[in-house]
Amino acid sequence: MEDRLVEFSTVLRRNGIRVSLSESMDAFRALALLGIADPSLFRNALRATLVKRASDVKPFDELFDFFFLGIGQTLDAIDRRIMDELGLTSEQFQEMLEQIQRLLKEMEGDLSDLSKALLQNNRGEIERLLRDAMQQEAETGTPDSFRHTPYTRMSARLQLDRVQSEIERFRGMLQMLGESGENLQNVLRYLDERMRDLNRLLREIISQEQRKKGLEPRDSSQRSSLGDKSFAFYTEDDIRRMNEAVARLAQRFKNRLSVRRKKAVRGRFNVKETLRKNLQYGGVPFNIRLDRRKKTKPQVMVLCDISDSVLNASRFMLQFVYSVQDLYAKVRSFVFVAEIGEVTRLFEEHDIQTAVEAALKGDVVDVFSHSNFGRAFEQFHRNFFAAITSKTTVLIIGDGRNNYNRPSDWVLREVRHKAKQLIWLNPESRMTWGIGDSEMTRYAPHCHFAEECRSINQLYKIVDMIVP
Amino acid sequence: MASTALFQSVDQVISYLGGEKYICNKNVATVVYLGTALEKPILVEGPAGVGKTELGKVLADSLGLELIRLQCYEGLDEAKALYEWEYAKQLLYTQILKDKIGEVLQGAQTLQEAVDCIANQDGVFFSDRFLLPRPLLRALLSEKRVVLLIDEIDKSDAEFEAFLLEVLSDFQITVPEIGTLKAKHIPLVVLTSNNSREMSDALKRRCLHLYLDFPDAEREMEIIKLKVPGVGNQLAEEVVRLLHRVRKLDLKKTPSISETLDWVRALTLLNIKQLDHELVDQTLSTLMKYEADVRKAHQELKAYLAEKQAQQSTPHSGSEKDHLH
Repeated sequence: MEDRLVEFSTVLRRNGIRVSLSESMDAFRALALLGIADPSLFRNALRATLVKRASDVKPFDELFDFFFLGIGQTLDAIDRRIMDELGLTSEQFQEMLEQIQRLLKEMEGDLSDLSKALLQNNRGEIERLLRDAMQQEAETGTPDSFRHTPYTRMSARLQLDRVQSEIERFRGMLQMLGESGENLQNVLRYLDERMRDLNRLLREIISQEQRKKGLEPRDSSQRSSLGDKSFAFYTEDDIRRMNEAVARLAQRFKNRLSVRRKKAVRGRFNVKETLRKNLQYGGVPFNIRLDRRKKTKPQVMVLCDISDSVLNASRFMLQFVYSVQDLYAKVRSFVFVAEIGEVTRLFEEHDIQTAVEAALKGDVVDVFSHSNFGRAFEQFHRNFFAAITSKTTVLIIGDGRNNYNRPSDWVLREVRHKAKQLIWLNPESRMTWGIGDSEMTRYAPHCHFAEECRSINQLYKIVDMIVP
Repeated sequence: MASTALFQSVDQVISYLGGEKYICNKNVATVVYLGTALEKPILVEGPAGVGKTELGKVLADSLGLELIRLQCYEGLDEAKALYEWEYAKQLLYTQILKDKIGEVLQGAQTLQEAVDCIANQDGVFFSDRFLLPRPLLRALLSEKRVVLLIDEIDKSDAEFEAFLLEVLSDFQITVPEIGTLKAKHIPLVVLTSNNSREMSDALKRRCLHLYLDFPDAEREMEIIKLKVPGVGNQLAEEVVRLLHRVRKLDLKKTPSISETLDWVRALTLLNIKQLDHELVDQTLSTLMKYEADVRKAHQELKAYLAEKQAQQSTPHSGSEKDHLH
């Protein structure tokens, strides 16, 4: 039993749940108290001692199911389902199985083990055979290659095609022996189902086995390529996954920041407060009071270009900024193409996703006009410049392609003067800045930071800068 | 070291807590049982209002033990959590006893002797008499076993956690002037956290972990019926069904059990038997704490009532859908 527990801890660790030695020992002690007879108590005891984070509860449950309940459970479920599908009661089902058994004995018996186990409904045997094959595969099998997936290798090892042909033979025999009518139909369907389920079971076990090993090759490659994929090439699916990634990033930043803020809380000795607090002790400074350094929350103003080329980058930036809203005193957002409009209210009234989509849709400004940065900036200066304070960070997301209109970069100069930080994020590669109608050469010098922002990974790096 | 076991079995935990009107499932009971038997602290995590603090209180009541509560906040330090010297009292005594001190020092000729004399007596001023025990110390020094409830530990800062760790691992503290004080009885420690920040790993390892989530429909029904005795069956059913739908929405603050109970009490008070009463709309604000959420709940209520109408007009299909998931 102890070995199984140790193995289970290893499995948990490989799947990202950090289990320490002391926790394993706690688990032993808990089991010593509760005993291992009752399965729910067993599970609860392990969960209480080995899992220390709310987010780990679900993976723990899945791994527990697989590790301790094993394949046996799955087979049972399959049987029940077949029974339901054939519309038989459990007695009729049992009868049918017995019939098959009798026929089996009559047949010349050089069926493979797996066929026999399948036909006899011998769950234990099937489980053992599958496990053994997995074991052998793990030990002697060749590493993942492109041509042979784990499934094909396992089916080769189990000789599934042989099993298939033997089942066929069995069916032939049945028909020959004169079984007919509904009985025959039921048995045939039963055999079909079992074959199909065997395949499904095999696939399931393989994927579980891979998860046990901590491998999830397809997922991780997808994630990494998503990180580098340029925003412009996103599909709907990518967008959805991006939203999750942004939400996670926002949470991480909030956690990190809350720790940072707490550390910088106390400062120099504050004479006035100390004296005041210690009047009750006759002026003897028993309680020392230090300066509480207040880290003021900054404000952010986000200006998003929502012309087609920049749409995705704007979307994610807006979402990120609003996700970390609690870190800022005030977030105001604007969208522009040729004119500028404020969309802050959308975020106050709806949840993030709806608001982002609504903001980018075209209700506030006309998305079909050509980009005119100069005009948008001038409007911004006229209407919203007064709102900028020395604590404001102004964030502009755009490609700077002005369609040869008036650049009006004096606006940026003034904004830089007044605000704390002026950051420009450009989804175009730096090499194209200044080429054609791009006014980046004029705009960039006014900004504290003018950065390329074409993929998630770059976004991550930049986010470090704007989060206080 | 271990005193006689408080609970004999997991089922006993369930029945004891049930006696105090706290309905818990086997998972909760197992963790409580292990916590008391292994003498390890229990860290209870979960959303607000699911009964974390309640668990601590009910545990104390059911066992007949005193409950010592320590509410955590940012800036909580050792002085306020563990102990403090009563400086004012010490100063006062010194002033009043000036004459007596003069007498004691009469024999002394040199400054050195005087200081030695005082040093021999300093046990007087740094004794238990002037020690102001705060919750943690009270829990340690109590004559009988107690339940120590450390509430909202995620609101405290990292320094407090580090110091708490020390206390929880050995259940003894060292007061420099007095010496080491060991706990006579190891208290039952329950820590609650809203998960607004991650606890340090070291603290987590010390504890058994319990995640309290929103209850499923059956349990919520039981809780409502137990805590609001006058509630009608139909009302309770409908409330639970609506609540489970509402919890799936994207809300700023998901309504928890305590809010459900408040709402049911409000509805019962207004003598409402079913959910299609106009007053129900107006009472939605006891359930939701944000305006945007109230609006969404309103929509959901309308949708639910529309479905109910549809079901009632086709009675045979209605009976199938009346299961509580």
